[in-house]
Amino acid sequence: MTLKTKLLATTSAFLIASTGALYADGHATHPETGEALASDQTFTYRDLDESPSIDPGVAEDSAGGDILRDLFEGLYNQDADGNLIPGVALSHEVSDDNLVYTFTLRDDAKWSNGDTVTAGDFEYAWKRAASPELASPYSWFIELMALENASAVIAGEMETSELGVTAIDDTTLEVRLTKPLPYFPQMVTHFTTFPVHQATIEEHGDNWTQPGNMVSNGAYVLTEFVPQERMVRERNEMYWDNENTIIERVVRLVIPDENVALTRYLAGELDRTAVPAGQFPRLSEQYPDQALSVPTACSYYYTINLTDENSNPALLDPNVRQALSLAVNRDVIVDNVLAGGQKAAYTFTHWATAGFETPETPIATMDQAEREAMAKELMAEAGFGPDNPLSVNLIYNTSEAHKSVAIAISQMWQQTLGVQTELGNQEWQTFLETRGNQDYEIARAGWCADYNEASTFLDLMDSGSGYNDAKYNNPEVDALLEQAKTSDNPQPLYEQVEQIIARDVPIIPIYHYASVNMLNENLEGWPVNNFQQNWYSKDFYKIAE
Amino acid sequence: MFSFVIRRLAVAIPTLLVLVIISFILMYAAPGGPFNSERPLPPEVLANIEAKYGLDQPFWAQIANYVWGVVTSFDFGPSFQYKDRSVNDIIAQGFPVTLTYGFWSFVVAVTVGVSLGVAAAIRQNSWLDYLAVGISVGAQVLPNFVMAPILVLTFTLWLGWLPGGGWNGGQWQNLVMPVIALSTSYMASIARITRSSMLEVLNTNFIRTARAKGLPMRRVIWRHAMKPAMLPVLSYLGPAFVGMITGSVVIDVFFSTGGIGQFFVNSAFNRDYSVIMGITILVGALTIFFNLVVDVLYAWIDPKIRY
Repeated sequence: MTLKTKLLATTSAFLIASTGALYADGHATHPETGEALASDQTFTYRDLDESPSIDPGVAEDSAGGDILRDLFEGLYNQDADGNLIPGVALSHEVSDDNLVYTFTLRDDAKWSNGDTVTAGDFEYAWKRAASPELASPYSWFIELMALENASAVIAGEMETSELGVTAIDDTTLEVRLTKPLPYFPQMVTHFTTFPVHQATIEEHGDNWTQPGNMVSNGAYVLTEFVPQERMVRERNEMYWDNENTIIERVVRLVIPDENVALTRYLAGELDRTAVPAGQFPRLSEQYPDQALSVPTACSYYYTINLTDENSNPALLDPNVRQALSLAVNRDVIVDNVLAGGQKAAYTFTHWATAGFETPETPIATMDQAEREAMAKELMAEAGFGPDNPLSVNLIYNTSEAHKSVAIAISQMWQQTLGVQTELGNQEWQTFLETRGNQDYEIARAGWCADYNEASTFLDLMDSGSGYNDAKYNNPEVDALLEQAKTSDNPQPLYEQVEQIIARDVPIIPIYHYASVNMLNENLEGWPVNNFQQNWYSKDFYKIAE
Repeated sequence: MFSFVIRRLAVAIPTLLVLVIISFILMYAAPGGPFNSERPLPPEVLANIEAKYGLDQPFWAQIANYVWGVVTSFDFGPSFQYKDRSVNDIIAQGFPVTLTYGFWSFVVAVTVGVSLGVAAAIRQNSWLDYLAVGISVGAQVLPNFVMAPILVLTFTLWLGWLPGGGWNGGQWQNLVMPVIALSTSYMASIARITRSSMLEVLNTNFIRTARAKGLPMRRVIWRHAMKPAMLPVLSYLGPAFVGMITGSVVIDVFFSTGGIGQFFVNSAFNRDYSVIMGITILVGALTIFFNLVVDVLYAWIDPKIRY
């Protein structure tokens, strides 16, 4: 064989071998379902904006959470239905008073540089998140977890070493709480509780989250990051469950305009993007296998200013508030205005919250004609009528969707009760300040669950809550909420609170959110039943077309 | 000339300082702040953050510290919103993107605009003139926020030739649509200025003399008419160039290029004080610099101008 023919022979042999591999790869099958897998296992999705941070201790938004659940792994993960499944921790034990949790960690969890993930990494991460030096906007989550001394550590009155978390040994983590929170294990799926690699942070300082520097323990590692444009995460060979990961690459693109994003989705550049408001009916008809609406853990409501100074005096009368609430035809809002699979809300707590049975409040059991009749009656009792119409001021933050809802509701109030509504929209920061200073009469609001339990919503009704923009103050509600914190079965208490809110109407619940997206029909494994929409790219796979 | 440049640079410093102070005051006068959010932070958490970013100090101390940091170490501070990054990081990442497509837009706008303008002037009232004027009027009334979606519809959805956005490290495919969308209206203005200025020059006595002594038309245009005709164009190009390279916000947002314009808009909404300041200073400094360049070029083109 001459050199030339030899070369030719090896080249063709190589070509045959590599096409063979390609062919085999193109026809790989899913280990459990046996479906043929696509040869390109890249998942590309769109975010509205760049996340403020991808440092688990500092991150603060849900889009950042999506990124961090891929890059890092906490004590527990959630499965497709939102149930807890082992992450770095295999199991935990709880003391009899429900105040001390002892987590047992797996010994085969590795950082992307090969180091073992230890209980000490969690202890370091939690103390770091609480430390005044880091000044994390999410340090309040450590307080919410009710860790021993959390408030004092954050306020700088105690050393971080006093925080109620201790690594007993490499695989045992002890957590001490001040309140026996029934939902505590749920909270350790949150990104603020993810471990971080101390040596990396000490070496690179603030730059540790950049590709090349970052050491992480999740199913993916950060390989490319251009803020406001794209981020690429690739399979982490060191991840303990790497052999079961199918998606090779996750690409996140920032596309601020949702219509542009939809265009790029339709052009095949994206596997997932949000459906612009009002377009769900059209898209679900045109692309029934791709348009997807799932309940997501947020409630949309109007809050009514109950303080003496700036409020509308008429709104201090519960009958007037009740009448306004009754006159809102929620079905029109969800079916005609939003049309994205949202659900009418008569309670503050989202209907799909774990363990929560939506109580039969009076308003929920009536039909709209009955509601309107009652609303008119209440309004007349309060002394308002055609000759003496009520005028209210309603503010919302600038957005087409909020505007449509506000216009629809003001029309309903006008038609049913003769109420004159002055609408005002404000740019976000201005709006927050106006609402936070109780410088409004009625304001739009939304709240999303931090964990899957009713108290994440209802705690806002506590007179001491910083998020209680209505400044609603009912000692009965405060007592019930306090009792729920330590109760074995808090659900009846939550239902009682909802009944009281339905009676007092400090807020007008309008609808419960749905997350409405276009999703590539070949992408499998999306957790449609995970109420918080906490997804992990490692659970997805793409089937061959 | 040299002393002129020195003088202009010396004036630039107080100008920038005034710009900084006015921006600072306007920024603080806007309601809200960088750490307001839907869920207000507990006071102890807010206190930690304000201490970290120096927001607990009096207003004048903040300005003074800021200016001192910029002057002594060219440090524009950390971003309040993007907590993993400093303003210098953000500019270093976003500015080259904007500079790249801004530069190509400039090249396209000048080449096409000047050619159209000159062609129209030479063949005044011919079909070529009407075509050129037609194109430039059409391009002028199509703002970039109308151009951009039309381009995406055509090239991405119908033809499938180009990606609908993104930057991808500056691949040419990602450059085409931003460049067309950004350069169109500049090109139209340049064409119209060139045409009218060229027409005026062509009717002057020295051109008539040149033609009378039998010079070929091509030589008359290139050798004699071009330079004086370019003066009004040049004064337009200075600010236009700054406008292009500092990014059209519309282009950055629509094509999600990751350019500086996107950061600028977001920083205003988020009250990300340090990023607002950093980009304002960048744009201000570039504006001053390119106006100076235009003035110098003026003197070079027109020997009658002396400083």
